[in-house]
Amino acid sequence: MSDTMLLSAYGLSKHYGAHHALDGADLDLRAGEVHALVGSNGAGKSTLVKILTGAVGPDAGTLTLAGMPVPFGDPKAALDAGIACIYQEANLVPALSVLDNIVLGRHPTRRFGLLDRSAQRQAVRELLARHDLRLDLDAPVQTLPTVQQKEVEIAKALSLNARVILMDEPTAWLAHAEVEKLFHSIRQLRAQGVAVLYISHILDEIFAIADRVTVIRDGKVRLMAPIAATSKAALVEAMLGRELAVEVGTAHRQMPQSAAGAVALECHGLSKAGLFQDMALQVHQGEIVCITGLVGAKRSEFVRALFGAEPADQGEILIHGRRVSLREPAAAIRHGIGFVPEDRRRDGLFMGLPIGANLVLAYLPLVTRAGLLVRRLTRALGRRQVEDLGIVPARLDLPARALSGGNQQKVLLGRWLAGGARILILDEPTVGVDVGAKADIYQLLRRLASAGAAILIVSSDMEEVLAIADRVIVMAQGRVSRTFTGHEVTQGAILSAASGEVAQ
Amino acid sequence: MTTAHTIAEKISGALPLRRLLRDYGQIVILALGTIIFAALEPAFVSTENLIGILYQISLIGIMAVCSTFVVISGGIDLSVGPVVALAGLMAAFTLEATGLALAPALLAGIAIGAGVGLLNGLAVARFQLPPIVVTLAMMSIARGAALLVGGSVLHLIREPAAFLFIGSGRVVGLPIPIFIFVATAAIMWFIQTRTSFGLSVFAIGENAAAARLCGLALTRVRTLVYLISGAGAGIAGVILAAQVRTASANYGNGIELDVIAAIVLGGTSLKGGSGAIYRSVIGALLIGGMNNGLSILNVSTDLQLVAKGVIIVVAIALDNFLYRWSES
Repeated sequence: MSDTMLLSAYGLSKHYGAHHALDGADLDLRAGEVHALVGSNGAGKSTLVKILTGAVGPDAGTLTLAGMPVPFGDPKAALDAGIACIYQEANLVPALSVLDNIVLGRHPTRRFGLLDRSAQRQAVRELLARHDLRLDLDAPVQTLPTVQQKEVEIAKALSLNARVILMDEPTAWLAHAEVEKLFHSIRQLRAQGVAVLYISHILDEIFAIADRVTVIRDGKVRLMAPIAATSKAALVEAMLGRELAVEVGTAHRQMPQSAAGAVALECHGLSKAGLFQDMALQVHQGEIVCITGLVGAKRSEFVRALFGAEPADQGEILIHGRRVSLREPAAAIRHGIGFVPEDRRRDGLFMGLPIGANLVLAYLPLVTRAGLLVRRLTRALGRRQVEDLGIVPARLDLPARALSGGNQQKVLLGRWLAGGARILILDEPTVGVDVGAKADIYQLLRRLASAGAAILIVSSDMEEVLAIADRVIVMAQGRVSRTFTGHEVTQGAILSAASGEVAQ
Repeated sequence: MTTAHTIAEKISGALPLRRLLRDYGQIVILALGTIIFAALEPAFVSTENLIGILYQISLIGIMAVCSTFVVISGGIDLSVGPVVALAGLMAAFTLEATGLALAPALLAGIAIGAGVGLLNGLAVARFQLPPIVVTLAMMSIARGAALLVGGSVLHLIREPAAFLFIGSGRVVGLPIPIFIFVATAAIMWFIQTRTSFGLSVFAIGENAAAARLCGLALTRVRTLVYLISGAGAGIAGVILAAQVRTASANYGNGIELDVIAAIVLGGTSLKGGSGAIYRSVIGALLIGGMNNGLSILNVSTDLQLVAKGVIIVVAIALDNFLYRWSES
């Protein structure tokens, strides 16, 4: 890490109406450093990123890159100055090849607008070699694992001569082994003198990769320190303020071995060609079971089959000991199962519909008399969920898209609690959810389990698994690799089971 | 709730005026249009002319409100034009076959529309075919079927008086089709705002994957919206036959564009998930007012077609602009 200041932002402020999204924030990045940016949802991280990329112009402040001022509110100027951003959701064209994605929009042409393919290929090859990225240039991007898609985006940024690369939650969709690969790429960037702004909720990652860290809360910088001079506790405190930080701490320690009740959800020999084979599982009332494993272990596919979303080819599912046929989600819902899907935007929420509608749509018969919606019942059902779950703002008439990620996730949970679902299946329930809301969700799940609910969670977040699981099932290549109970649940044991051998 | 409203404003980032314009822009456009036409030709706002406008839009209006659910659910129905012809022919033939019995004729006309809609619905919902292709094909099939059964001749309808009354009779000075339009719109509005079916239509249009995971009956709801749209065209076809006292295989040609224009001009998004029945009523008023105003100003029919197209694009662009402006 050198001491040259590459990017300096000073006194950045941005307000929307009366709300100060950013309030005099400073940020400086050195050439060849990985600088972590953390903060809860709504703290101002995304506003800061948008200002740096020129997507929005600030009300006040200055921005310089290598001593030269960068004009605000001009995405092209930011890009030309060498500031590139890799967003949480891939910004690639899935059907195009790696090569085409990297050079998209800047094809070197010969006469008559013909593409000079060989020159392109040569230039990109050299670029990849220089940064130790190994990518098949002709593979369509959609066939690549997520981590390689991130590498394509990095390559794309580098091909634009980026000197500063912003990465927004780059590991959100990655499994553990893939994270290490990404870190390798990031370290290469650092060695080449690129400044990386690494935005993440996951503190372990920050301590593994970052050189310095900036914490913002309510639009202000609360902490800026070399990573070696700080601690997890200090970061959490800076992110949440002191009071909340204590609460989260206790939430993580709380891990009661609840006395399991009767078996609520059970399956035997569940198979689906090409996806998972011979899956067996029992979830008891009052129990939280986590399914973990690497991306590609087909965990989501398995739980979607349990909910009837994509039914299995063979095998049986039992609910409270009775064999059931779940060919459609509607059947699973009638049997008291609720399902929170992995991608809440794509499969879960009705973004443009009011929060109240989002809360009642899975149980319309409860609020309907002779086909007519009864407003009193709709409102009562929605209000109860908003209050029980602490959804903020507590408004039934706002569209779901107005909520933060954590509150959206609460709405999805509330949708099932509204109808009294006793078996809950949650796929990656806290991806993209800030630390505060995460703690809320863990506490809520624990409370539901104590009240007798059976809860099955798919999670790649090891901290999450360790914090809330009574039992852990590790899947690998579409099969159960191992099951851990109580004190057996340790990070090392789970990781070796996930990456390794399938139980014979 | 003052604080709550402040929060809402913060979140949507919109000033009240901007949000009002965004939500009720069509009403503003309607009012502006009325003022402009009235200034150019005061006869535009005479009672007789206003009733005339309502009478002229009642068919498009009925079809638009019945087709709105299709659009909210994320689909489109292009097949309503030939259904108008089919329904008129069915009514005429049934009158003939039953010795001028009124009820069977009305039912037959509406039923043929509902039947075509049902076929659309099954193709879209059960066999998952793209709505634009299905209903475009159905447009051709239904027009062909109408020509097969009706030939190229006009089928005169001279009696019964009760049937003709539906087309041109008046009650308290207002033509009957206006009452049918208002009643249809009221029923559809009720279904939209008060029934679980209405809410399901929005949910499916907004996010079909999520709707399925909520256990909603996608196939049934989707089939029903097309059936309703077809039935609406059936009603319009029967009224048209009664108005002009004839049935013909060539009626309703191109009317689907006016119907879709009414829905979209009203502010229901072709992307699905948003819209309202009352918006389609306003959309029909916009189209009717425009046609009537241009005629009153003696604009030639050729020029009217061009002007209508331009006004539609400008109105939608303005709506888009207002939306983005209110969000900024």
